[in-house]
Amino acid sequence: MQQRDRYQSIEDFLADDSFKAWVLTGQDPDQWEAWTVEHPQRSAIVENARNLWLAMQVPDPKVTPEESVAALQSTWQKIVQAEDNVIAPTWRWWRSAAAVLLLGCGISLAWYIYRDIVVTPGTSYTELIENTSDPVLERTNDTDHPLLITLADGSSVLLQPDSKLSFPAKFEGRERKVYLSGEAFFEVSKNPNQPFLVYANELLTRVVGTSFRVKAFADQDDIEVVVRTGKVNVSSSSVAADSSEEELLLLPNQGVRFSRERLAFEKIDDLTQEKQISQKLSNIERLSFEFSDVPVAQIFKTIEQAYLVEIDFPEEKLKNCYLTTSLSDEPLPQKLKIICSSLGPDASYAIEGNKISVSAKGCD
Amino acid sequence: MINLSKTDEQLWQDLISGDESAFSTLFERHHSLLVGYGISLISHRETVQDCVQDVFVDVWLYRQSLNPSVSAKAYLISSVRKRIARRHERDKIFRKTTQLDDSLEKIIEFSLDFTVEDRLIANEETLHKVRQLNQMLNALNARQREALYLRYHQGLSVDEIADILDINKQSVSNLLHRALRQLRRDWTGSTPLFLLVSYLTI
Repeated sequence: MQQRDRYQSIEDFLADDSFKAWVLTGQDPDQWEAWTVEHPQRSAIVENARNLWLAMQVPDPKVTPEESVAALQSTWQKIVQAEDNVIAPTWRWWRSAAAVLLLGCGISLAWYIYRDIVVTPGTSYTELIENTSDPVLERTNDTDHPLLITLADGSSVLLQPDSKLSFPAKFEGRERKVYLSGEAFFEVSKNPNQPFLVYANELLTRVVGTSFRVKAFADQDDIEVVVRTGKVNVSSSSVAADSSEEELLLLPNQGVRFSRERLAFEKIDDLTQEKQISQKLSNIERLSFEFSDVPVAQIFKTIEQAYLVEIDFPEEKLKNCYLTTSLSDEPLPQKLKIICSSLGPDASYAIEGNKISVSAKGCD
Repeated sequence: MINLSKTDEQLWQDLISGDESAFSTLFERHHSLLVGYGISLISHRETVQDCVQDVFVDVWLYRQSLNPSVSAKAYLISSVRKRIARRHERDKIFRKTTQLDDSLEKIIEFSLDFTVEDRLIANEETLHKVRQLNQMLNALNARQREALYLRYHQGLSVDEIADILDINKQSVSNLLHRALRQLRRDWTGSTPLFLLVSYLTI
């Protein structure tokens, strides 16, 4: 604060944060008031600097903290998209390199990429659950049809028969972690600040917001991850914590098969070439969620087939409602929200287990 | 939320080494002021929002080539200005068909008007003085007002302002001094505040 004794010009005062704070808030921890009256010759310049500063205010841009958070989220989304564009050509290069290599050896044209990876064999679901510090809920599907689970962040999971999923009641901390034994289709709500992690035996799948299927049964030799939309990172769960090198990036319609016996990844670049996998695609992976001028009843029917849920809605009132929308990359709650918002301000939905009820007054 | 106590310099360096939370903190810390600066250059708020986001996208994507020793704030302000200027240039080309627009502003211009903080002024006489000062400030040319804004509201150095406005350091000093000297002249012309004169001779 001694430097102010040497202030010569109005500029010196204007550039002083403590001075500005005193002028604008009246709070005076640095005792500007007292300092000014101490030497009467100062009072004129202080007065002028104060007046100038009061005359030189700028309007508040009126950006709320919520707006900033929303802007940050869409910035992360733009980054993810841009990174996709940057990374995709790299893979194209990889593929042609692999093709040259494979042709040279005269083996096969299929795009397999083998990678060595350090893993601890036999990392099991039970071990993973025991080692986690987060409190988790567990759902087991003993039925013969897929079970719909909606997570706290709005993500939806279709858990296949004979499968188990563990997840926290509420996602806290920097990551959203769930644990899978068996098979499930995930639709993850977008949140770049809190990546979504699926631990499935030896495999760790990491995403920001996307849909994909993980198959990891304790009694089967292979673990599979198949991507429908977005971008997915797969790594071995034991090394994931300290290594970013042992990762595979998967884009839509790509998949990876991990051999638990050989501890090796096998990348599948084109799912349609893989009869074994494409025949096993569940309804949700086969159905299209791109609707163009489609009656809302038809959209509900598609959702019923995809998620194996029952939707109760006022059929008569909604018979004239047609929608054009793209719901491909959205978890179920988000899909319902988008539909309801286009059915007018009074429309709402409720999910209870595999039953969904929609109320709406119709549309004009 | 340990990030909140970190300085811009620390966050900037963490960001360059790939720390996502440092990026997010810097974003939240400067977003509002960057939008505020942006709308003083072009009034279309959505375009400004877009440009600010694009600047941050590039910061993250090209973080490895960023200079760790520059001031994050100055870098961001400068990038937002460039981005808006480029967008404006492009939009102008697209709008060529409307001939009326063509004669209008060729380049972006600082169009923000300074306001009076009258809640803090108790007596009439001071209020009158401050309002007169405010009118004089707003009569300064766009460059002078922008230099004042960057220097005193954003706390940037003369060097940093020179870089942002793409002029040399001496020109920035001239802009700032001439602005205040002009004020002084108008000021002393209307009110006998001769004391100010002696303090403003630099």
